[in-house]
Amino acid sequence: MSTVAPPTADVDLFADDVLVDPYPTYARLRELGAVVHLPKNEAYALTRYDVIRDALGDWETFSSAGAIGFNPMVNEALTGTSLASDPPIHTQLRAALTENLTPRALRGLKGQIEEKADALVAELVEKGSFEAIDALARAFPLEVVADLIGFTGHVRDNMPCWGQAAMQVIGPMNQRTAECFPIAGELYGWCSGVTAEDLAPGSVGRGIFEAEARGAIPPGTAGHIIHQYLGAGVDTTIAAIGNIVALLGARPDQLELVRTDPSLAPAAFNEVLRFWPPIHAWGRKATRDVEVDGVTIPAGSKVAILFGAGNRDPRHYEDPDELLVERNPVDHLSFGYGPHGCAGQGLARLEAHAVIGALSRRVERLVLDPEVRVPSNITRSIDELAVLEVVPA
Amino acid sequence: MKIVLDRPRCEGHGLCEEAAPALMHLDDDGELVLDREEIGDAEAAAANAAVRVCPVAALRIA
Repeated sequence: MSTVAPPTADVDLFADDVLVDPYPTYARLRELGAVVHLPKNEAYALTRYDVIRDALGDWETFSSAGAIGFNPMVNEALTGTSLASDPPIHTQLRAALTENLTPRALRGLKGQIEEKADALVAELVEKGSFEAIDALARAFPLEVVADLIGFTGHVRDNMPCWGQAAMQVIGPMNQRTAECFPIAGELYGWCSGVTAEDLAPGSVGRGIFEAEARGAIPPGTAGHIIHQYLGAGVDTTIAAIGNIVALLGARPDQLELVRTDPSLAPAAFNEVLRFWPPIHAWGRKATRDVEVDGVTIPAGSKVAILFGAGNRDPRHYEDPDELLVERNPVDHLSFGYGPHGCAGQGLARLEAHAVIGALSRRVERLVLDPEVRVPSNITRSIDELAVLEVVPA
Repeated sequence: MKIVLDRPRCEGHGLCEEAAPALMHLDDDGELVLDREEIGDAEAAAANAAVRVCPVAALRIA
């Protein structure tokens, strides 16, 4: 069989300007091909919707084992997690991780989460102006996850920084990654040392230790599961909630649609995720020479999955660069797909639907300053978003 | 046509139920129940939508 090499682009996926606004780069790469070789990143980027979805569903060809991060140190550090393993080991680790995160396990939390979101949004509307990232996008998921895991005190204060570092180090070994390794190490250290007694009785965190004690999960794994909850779930949820405020705030017509029909909250969340996925790039490794859309990715190659490029693929979504809440793109790529599909998506939905619901009930319009972004390797999120004025509902 | 559920993979996200309420539902314990496995042409669109929306690829059409 003759093989055709993919097109090549002189792009660094982790350059500051690309991280702040990757969309022009995504469009360029997508037009070059479904697979584009990026020598600067020593990787093959997947850029179009269909090939991304197929790769995410095919763990045998696109392995996660030692392959999700873009530097060897992080891949080594993630060894033995469900994130960085393939079936059959993955199946067991995943079951332990998701036991407390499935919608059925979280059902009891829905009411509390909605009340919290409503109280927080009510307070901010009352204030009339606020900084939305600290006051809402960070504050709300931290409160939810702190209650869920059952931690208090200084750990809670450290969590945004720890969560951010845990994602940052998944990038290539650039300055951002080097600076964040010690901070990510603090989170890992805390999770390795935490005991059942440190966590509130009745919390999910305490439950994970109880599961370990009765042998439902292997000895010594409770801390790792808590590490995954915090490492994977904090920074991404903060990004998603910040994006909700920024996107619905900047588009009063779209907010108005949700205000008129509150059942559109889940559709609005799907569209916000499609439009601005919290995760920029995620790794896999090709286990064999694989032909994708007429070109060959050589066995052993690093593969970079660009969720945001797939989500804006005009071959799959009409007018992909428009934010339209009624589109309800249930098949967006932002939670991944298949065996490694986001384990915390049920919780993320509960939180996001609660925030969208509260905003749509209490806000007619927001007057926003332009968002401030700081380049970040993996999580693309807003760093500061000033709400200058709230027009209450 | 038949809907096939990979039971160990199912995490009960319930998006399939929203896509095809006549064909499947989550029971009181949050476990997915296929109300109809053998499906005809009339239900094919709903069944495909349910397969498509499953975030963990636990459903397929055989």
